[in-house]
Amino acid sequence: MLDSRLVIVSGKGGVGKSAVAAALALLAQRQGKRVLAVEMGSPGGLATHFSTGDLGFEPREVRPGLHAMMVVRSAALLEYLSLQLRLPGIGRFGAVARAFDALATAAPAVREIITIGKIYWEVQADRWDIVIADAPPAGQLGSYLRAPRSIAELVPSGRVRNQGDAMAGLLANPDLTRLVLVTLPEELPTTETVETIEWLGEEDVVGPPTVMVNRVLPELASAGRPGGTAGEIVDLHRSLLAEQEHWMKVLPGDMALPYLFGLFTPGEVAAHLSDTLEGLL
Amino acid sequence: MTATLLVTGAGGVGKTTVAAAVAVRAARHGMRTLVVTVDPARRLASALGLADLGNEPQPHADEPDLWAAMLDSGASWRAVAERHADPDVAVRLAENDFFQAAAEHFPASQSYAAADQAATYVQARAWDLVVVDTPPSGGGIDFFTAPAQMADLVGGRLLRWITGGPFPGRRFFYDRAARPVLRVADSVLGSDLLQRVAEFLLDLRTTYDGVAQRGREIERVMREASIFVITTADPAPMSEAIRFYRELPRLASTPEAVIFNRSLPDRWVQAGEPELDPVVKPVVEMWAAETLRQRDFRDEFSARYGARVATIPWSSDPPNDLDDLAGLAERAVGIPWERLGIS
Repeated sequence: MLDSRLVIVSGKGGVGKSAVAAALALLAQRQGKRVLAVEMGSPGGLATHFSTGDLGFEPREVRPGLHAMMVVRSAALLEYLSLQLRLPGIGRFGAVARAFDALATAAPAVREIITIGKIYWEVQADRWDIVIADAPPAGQLGSYLRAPRSIAELVPSGRVRNQGDAMAGLLANPDLTRLVLVTLPEELPTTETVETIEWLGEEDVVGPPTVMVNRVLPELASAGRPGGTAGEIVDLHRSLLAEQEHWMKVLPGDMALPYLFGLFTPGEVAAHLSDTLEGLL
Repeated sequence: MTATLLVTGAGGVGKTTVAAAVAVRAARHGMRTLVVTVDPARRLASALGLADLGNEPQPHADEPDLWAAMLDSGASWRAVAERHADPDVAVRLAENDFFQAAAEHFPASQSYAAADQAATYVQARAWDLVVVDTPPSGGGIDFFTAPAQMADLVGGRLLRWITGGPFPGRRFFYDRAARPVLRVADSVLGSDLLQRVAEFLLDLRTTYDGVAQRGREIERVMREASIFVITTADPAPMSEAIRFYRELPRLASTPEAVIFNRSLPDRWVQAGEPELDPVVKPVVEMWAAETLRQRDFRDEFSARYGARVATIPWSSDPPNDLDDLAGLAERAVGIPWERLGIS
């Protein structure tokens, strides 16, 4: 997975998507790669897992060899217009940029194409060995992955269209781009993951996803039940295991990540998860 | 007088379930209670009698004082257009490609729709208590900033940007050759996309007075509401909960309580008896350590933010019916029921 150029990490809100994205970035960094971690939508997720302050549009080195940034739409838009569409003097032509900002709020696929466009730009820029994107939740993932194609329906020709075709090519190439879906062995995340896998299979915008089931409790091999509070604990653990087993059967779990107990900060969670992922990948 | 409870928190912490449990408890206490919910799990939806999903509050078949409504952001946006625009403009808006796109893309739109809908129910004075499960978009804080953001969107800021000047008449867009902005945009996009967006924004702008006034009403409802922040003791939801405590006093009001879902009983801290089966022992010790960490987290949160802390025990069984939900409320410790008028 870490030999690809782009890893997109998504999943339902609350499943630990940002923690997994941060852990993958830390692991790639430990392997000596030049890494860029990108926060695509929800501000704060990646930043807290790197124990840094808020991220900005300019990549900042958060560990030696590991940079992190957030896609700020207005800045991404300016860059998209000037660098990717090669509009001359865009800085002075503020009105055009502002008009595009309006477009990005109201028109389908424009906001997404700017975000995906920034990631595409960084992947092909050769400054990084790998780009790891903390993507929007699975519910919005489709509009991002489909954006390069949706824009083609909206804009029949021109530079935006050509740029969109190049992005679609990057996403659809399984040697270059990998999608990770993080989920939990619980009802809502499982249902949403199964639905996501279904439409991904139908649409062919990106290669088959790797499903990581997060917060998996350890098995309990003993059949006995101790007395006292230990017995209460064993009861809870067993009933949680039964629920977990039920949803694990429904999920095509490629990888199970352990429930991490006793940690205090998101930074600790990301560090532990990267150790686990090192063993799994 | 209708009391309002806003139940907020990060995604995945059990917010919807807690909102439902509070509502069931209130209804069984004899209060006419409406719970407005977002994206409930299938079992929870059927427990609430929400099998046929609808925007309209439905009375529960088996619980006389309980009503439930589900949020549908698309439908709510259409309602905004119908309420605040001329009939022919409303039709044009609802049929416009960009209307749906804006409803999906504008981060505050689902939150605005939820807040508008909730405020409508509060103002209807048909219930003693309205419990609102807030949508998780934008980390949940969006719900509280949505009215202002929405007024800004329809207020024409974007429209002024496109035209680079004062509000234009509709005729303006048919004379595009005069506008270098539109010419450049068209050459980049290879189409008249920007003009179509501008026309859409022009229609949307006619709703401004209505939306701005409505926004002020919604904000008043929020300021008068009680707020519960739901979290688990996991690190990521905790940082969200801290954010709520820092920002909500300014945006709405100070939360009445922070409710830690999936809490472990304090007595488990002592659970590692030496004579335990060696297979069982590490599992028991793991939970004991987790119990200790949870307790430390709650104590620290309460000390630092002066927060009233409540707990709901960790259970493996998702609630299947109203009795399960009532049981969940029953087992909760420290919820300030008196603030909702429940003794």
